[in-house]
Amino acid sequence: MHPSADERADNRLRLPRWMTSEHPLPWLFPCISLLLVFGLYPILYSLWLTMYKRNPATRMETFDPAWNWSRLWADERVWDALQVTLTYTFVAIILQLTLGMLIALLLDTDRKGFGILRALMTLPLVVPPAVTGMMFLLMYDGSFGVISHALYDLGIISKDDPLLATGSTALLAVIIVDVWQWTPFMVLIMLAGLRALPKDPFEAAAIDGATDVQAFFKLTLPMMSKIIALAVLIRGIDLFRVFDYVKVMTDSGPGTATETLTAYTGTIYFKSANFPFASTVAIFTLLVVLIVANVFIKVFKVRF
Amino acid sequence: MEQSRPFIIARYTAAILIVMIFMFPIFWFALTSIKPISAVFDKDGVIWFDFVPTMENYRVTLLGESSIDVNQNTRSDFGTSGGNSYDGRGSILSSIIVAVGSTILSAGMGMLAAYGLSRMNFRGSQGLLNWILSQRFLPPIAIIIPLVFIFHDMGLRDTYVGLIIAHTLINLPIAVLLMKSFIDDIPVDIDHAAMIDGATRWQVFWKVILPMSKGGLAATAVLCFIFSWTEFLLALFLTSSIRTIPVKITTFVTSTGSEWGYISALGTSAIIPGFIFILLVQNHLVRGLTMGAIKD
Repeated sequence: MHPSADERADNRLRLPRWMTSEHPLPWLFPCISLLLVFGLYPILYSLWLTMYKRNPATRMETFDPAWNWSRLWADERVWDALQVTLTYTFVAIILQLTLGMLIALLLDTDRKGFGILRALMTLPLVVPPAVTGMMFLLMYDGSFGVISHALYDLGIISKDDPLLATGSTALLAVIIVDVWQWTPFMVLIMLAGLRALPKDPFEAAAIDGATDVQAFFKLTLPMMSKIIALAVLIRGIDLFRVFDYVKVMTDSGPGTATETLTAYTGTIYFKSANFPFASTVAIFTLLVVLIVANVFIKVFKVRF
Repeated sequence: MEQSRPFIIARYTAAILIVMIFMFPIFWFALTSIKPISAVFDKDGVIWFDFVPTMENYRVTLLGESSIDVNQNTRSDFGTSGGNSYDGRGSILSSIIVAVGSTILSAGMGMLAAYGLSRMNFRGSQGLLNWILSQRFLPPIAIIIPLVFIFHDMGLRDTYVGLIIAHTLINLPIAVLLMKSFIDDIPVDIDHAAMIDGATRWQVFWKVILPMSKGGLAATAVLCFIFSWTEFLLALFLTSSIRTIPVKITTFVTSTGSEWGYISALGTSAIIPGFIFILLVQNHLVRGLTMGAIKD
């Protein structure tokens, strides 16, 4: 038996009004309110903090909107950190993108066993970055690290210059850790992209006698450009705020050779408790991300 | 396409080699976790398999059995577990509470918002979606300092609820985006058919959309869980006595040296839940990760 109209109406009445609403607000309210209170408000709070000058001796704060920004401008550590951050982001993204694409091409086949290999390839993604840092710290160690020993044996580095304690190698050593953890993310995205490509153009190209390499550059790359741009954007923004590896592995050292903007902000926060200046560096980081990301979105026409 | 035999063999070799290289750090870490301490440090070089396996490190970190080292280490910087500073049980519990809490909140709120955005066309819906997404792109460092103050004022500092909210904040944009892409794939006619039969919006959502997007919800939940499980910066700033595993593990590095046995045992254990979850939802995840980018 079908329920009568009365029963249906009754059914409706028993539900609280917001549950029957045709208005989008009840559905979006929890999400938006959380993001407003804990996402947007802190940013405004941060901006407000940047306007105060902190006297380290008296710990008093006075209103002086330009003070922190002029200090930021004159602080060489900020510009060093920006340079480290940009180098880190740029080198890591190139490595991850290239390796990710190559590995995806290698694994993109239905032959027996490749499913398992693809699954194994994603596993670095679930290792907590702080644990990853530890993992590599163990392997990089100058006296008992397996990677260091391999590099000694190959004559690439000497025992006098431990990887993470030497300015010229520390940053690259940290970037390698990032590459280990996040190349699988690129592989995943590239695999999904490769799988979604139409087959016809490739068959046509094969008939015309195109080689695999030609097909890759003339067909695969152009058709994947959108997804590559999106992947670069997502990873780029994540890379720009790198913190875990640096904090765990080198604590910005040796000297400030691996100090990124986020790490520098953390140092100010924990060591000098100068919250207004720490906020200024943080807002500066945010501004750089916003500008670079928006230029990237415009230039490469990224859509979500 | 026809492929020659040497080509196929080369492809298998290269693929297996690459995967082995990527698996090596995890393998080495797990191997270290069952080494006695004498096999971790050796003056003559690196010890591979020449040692007697021990479960000592797991006993200390997972079962809280005390070890000799503890007596030498009297620092009182351990988590909620109390007693033994290499006892990882408290941090495992903290991580589970926070990750599960934040997963439920983000997946739940994210799914509601995704349904609203997917099914109800209203002025500014695209702008709203973009704004929600842009929250994901904020460097956490930009909000962390005021968040510490706000949490302090609200009594949320160093509480489970506080850290759950913070992780939800990070997860929500991704949850909305993923769920929206899954709900968008369900034809809107199904909603209408159900409503003609007298179902309310809420009933449509609960009885039709939810069961149909189970796979997507599972992938979203797994992603939220892993993000929260692995998160370090917010946990470091917002808590002091509650220690999630990533934060706890860094306390095993002391000025007198690193406890590699305990680090590798707790670290290896921390990897396992993520491994299992990601393998379970792999296929959905690949689809979700690519979002709308490969649709048209």
